[in-house]
Amino acid sequence: MFPDWMNEAPSPFDSVLVANRGEIAVRILKAAKESGLRGIAVFSDPDADSLHVEIADEAIHLQGSSLSETYLNIDAIISAARESGAQAIHPGYGFLSERADFAKAVQESEIVWIGPSPASIQTMGDKISARRRMIESNVPIIPGEELAIEYGTNPLGVLASSAARVGYPLLVKASAGGGGKGMRAVHEPKMLRTEYEAAAREASAAFGDGTVYVERLLTGSRHVEIQVLCDKYGNSVHLNERDCSLQRRHQKVIEEAPSPAVNSEIRDAMGTAAIRAAKAVNYEGAGTVEFLLTPKGEFYFLEMNTRLQVEHPVTELITGIDLVQKQFEVAAGLPLEISQNNIGITGHSIEARIYAEDVSKGFLPAIGKLAMWKPPSNPGVRLDSGFREGDEVTIDFDPMLAKLIVHAPTRSAALRRLDSALSEFVVLGVTTNIGFLRDIALSEAFSEGLVTTDFLDNISLDKFLEPKIDDSVLISISAASSRLGLGRNSSSENLDNFVDEYSGHSDDPFRTLKRSFP
Amino acid sequence: MEWSLDNSGSKYAASFSDEDGKLILSKLVGDSIEKPIPHISISRDEQPRRIIVELDGVSSFAYVVRSNDQWWIHFQGRIFVVNMHEPGSKDSSLSEGSLSAPMPGTILDVLVKAGQRVRKGQTLLVMEAMKMEHRIQAPKAGEVAIVHFEKGDRVDMGQNLVEIIE
Repeated sequence: MFPDWMNEAPSPFDSVLVANRGEIAVRILKAAKESGLRGIAVFSDPDADSLHVEIADEAIHLQGSSLSETYLNIDAIISAARESGAQAIHPGYGFLSERADFAKAVQESEIVWIGPSPASIQTMGDKISARRRMIESNVPIIPGEELAIEYGTNPLGVLASSAARVGYPLLVKASAGGGGKGMRAVHEPKMLRTEYEAAAREASAAFGDGTVYVERLLTGSRHVEIQVLCDKYGNSVHLNERDCSLQRRHQKVIEEAPSPAVNSEIRDAMGTAAIRAAKAVNYEGAGTVEFLLTPKGEFYFLEMNTRLQVEHPVTELITGIDLVQKQFEVAAGLPLEISQNNIGITGHSIEARIYAEDVSKGFLPAIGKLAMWKPPSNPGVRLDSGFREGDEVTIDFDPMLAKLIVHAPTRSAALRRLDSALSEFVVLGVTTNIGFLRDIALSEAFSEGLVTTDFLDNISLDKFLEPKIDDSVLISISAASSRLGLGRNSSSENLDNFVDEYSGHSDDPFRTLKRSFP
Repeated sequence: MEWSLDNSGSKYAASFSDEDGKLILSKLVGDSIEKPIPHISISRDEQPRRIIVELDGVSSFAYVVRSNDQWWIHFQGRIFVVNMHEPGSKDSSLSEGSLSAPMPGTILDVLVKAGQRVRKGQTLLVMEAMKMEHRIQAPKAGEVAIVHFEKGDRVDMGQNLVEIIE
């Protein structure tokens, strides 16, 4: 049974398999349910009890222990789709989402692929071919040099002469990199070797390909990206920009829309360039064109992400457009039916990425059991997460626990809302960056909208790590909690002795009469 | 029972007077020295993992969870961890001069060898955990006594990697 909205579609589907895990799998499975589609999850052993498996209509187990046997295993995912009768596959982000061979395998299995064509993915996925295509299409690119080096050969001579021509400071990037992996800044020639080797190692560990190239590092710039949506009939719109300048080692930390550095003139110019970029590869579906915006207002193409982006919710909140639903519609062959004139900006939205990491130990990933997990819930607050209380945070996967997204009429109201929501978020048992996110959001540079991509790498974090409450108070709370016997029942190992979250009582029916609503 | 915070090595003991289940801090001893105390009292709340903290006459809630030998606290919009110690126990986590693996992972590179002088903050080892690289840096200046692992080795969380002597 196809849902009603699919009636006129040339390639309708009634079910979608989500080839992913964690928060994005949850996001897409919920969208599927809302749209009347049967949602099918896949999971590997460590995810057997995960939230995305729980909410799916059906879940298919992927055998094996490594990622390449499970979430990166094209054959296993195609057979999971066959086994479950899935008529479409959504790849999410990461994993196989930008693998042209996966898109091709899905299409050859006569399953609807929710994403752009394999050729679009291929062209944009290789930084060198993407750059060439952008030059042909009159999209401005960063000064740099095309240089392909195969991992395993000794590339230092070629690399050094290329670096000298491009000029320092520069970025060494793995062509197959992404998400901050396989990309290193080199500030002086003597660091070239060390940083190149680190980039090559990271890229080959994460992506199985160590190709590298070199480009000029534009300091003091912002990372601004344009969301585009294209259908199969040549209609393309852009959904304004997202500013992702707050990064740590090229990993985004806080994103917002609109950008405090973009006026309507820059927005129009960037939007037009982004659509040109998308059209240059006959793009279909939702995609993101990333630019560097210099202090002078010039912008340069960085790359196109041919998939849904982690930070897509900020765009959804300011435009009111559900990007996952649009992806379903485009994949089914429906026309966009949105014109550029009808896309506005309502208010301001900010997303903070909550990571299991210890900021005071150099942002080291943290592990443990989420002994308490109480997300904030207020008007204008959205939480996208794949975790629940009691879940174990392990080293098996990415340390992102959740995305906290706020929406408010103005940027300053959104900042207040973010701070308030972060302060109410109770996560105990696993170290997170929540306190750090509050400090950064409240910092002068961020609250005035002045942050550039090198901000976090250039400031001292020590001032953020000062204890906020006197030791004597914390010692008192702990000692008193022990004396009050609070540690005994809640030592999260014992889930049999479940205590109602809200009433505070266990299963005695009479005691629930005293239920209190905080 | 004694208590400590990660930001300082001090160990504290606390005493309370009990007024109908309301615990009022009466004495705080840190490293055998009596400390000035805040006006603080703590009592149970209806919710099982929430307490009422009255500090200088102002009441607010704190969420508390015990996980192994730590108390995790959410108080006034911030999250804290307090370590518990059995009285008289030798504290293994504070063994001076040894650097333990912060995560399970693989040693990617060893940049120092035994006998070498290192400065504070110098990178000693490069580890990979969760697909990202982490640099293990010297917490103080000194001489490398032993390096326990070689490039390519797998390490578990908490294993000693390097020992540094003054």
